[in-house]
Amino acid sequence: MPLIDSAALRLLGASLDVNAYRQALISSNMANIDTPGYRTRDVDFHKTLTNAVNDAESSLSPVAHKVHGLIERPDGNNVNADREALLLAHTQLRFRLSAQLVKGEFRKILSAINEGK
Amino acid sequence: MNLFGVMEIAGSALGAERLRAEVVASNMANLETTRTADGGPYRRRLTVFQAQNMPGLPLQVASFGPAFGPALGQGIGRTGQAGGVRIQRVVTDTAPPFLRYQPGHPDADAKGYVAYPSINPVEEMTDLMGAVRAYELNASSVQAAKQMIQQSIDILR
Repeated sequence: MPLIDSAALRLLGASLDVNAYRQALISSNMANIDTPGYRTRDVDFHKTLTNAVNDAESSLSPVAHKVHGLIERPDGNNVNADREALLLAHTQLRFRLSAQLVKGEFRKILSAINEGK
Repeated sequence: MNLFGVMEIAGSALGAERLRAEVVASNMANLETTRTADGGPYRRRLTVFQAQNMPGLPLQVASFGPAFGPALGQGIGRTGQAGGVRIQRVVTDTAPPFLRYQPGHPDADAKGYVAYPSINPVEEMTDLMGAVRAYELNASSVQAAKQMIQQSIDILR
């Protein structure tokens, strides 16, 4: 197994990617909170990541979809500020977790190098 | 689009909401204005928001993948759906001005009525509060993006 290109790092990299992408969508939703006719968009985090894990050879391709079941305002906009704020916090923490774990993986490699000295 | 693109999205909303607040402030300041450059009383202005794809930003999330392994080298595609917002235009309210009987006023018509802008201060205040709340929401989004970038940098430490 290659050291730098491990399965764990690949998964964590995918997780960082999906979270960064989701953050862009949440930001986009928040930006358009007053745009008439705008529909909330989101990405299926678990599905995208599961696909990335199961099919390591394919590229990660999250697809944004419109969120259903939100209350629509008379101007056709269905952005819910509370939902977005909550998701923002979620995404931030998930990103942080992944970043910390990546750091840990590299630290392991570094300690392996240092122990050999 | 990378995490800096997220900040640009939120930034576009901050700009749009600030302009909205400016227009509301202008409406409130001109509550009693009977003279304008175009003649007649001041007319209430409204902002029109429009979703936009960010120009200058590639519609792709820069991938963390290439740093870790070639399997993810393609990165994330199909991100064209994320975008910011802009004020498409500022329109003038078509509501007719309301008339007040003030015969001594220099702008009074032949019957002694003065045309005042039809602006409801309560409406303007609620609009201003909406703009402030939306501004706060997007400011928190900038904060989140900043922290995420910081955490990516921290991987290197």
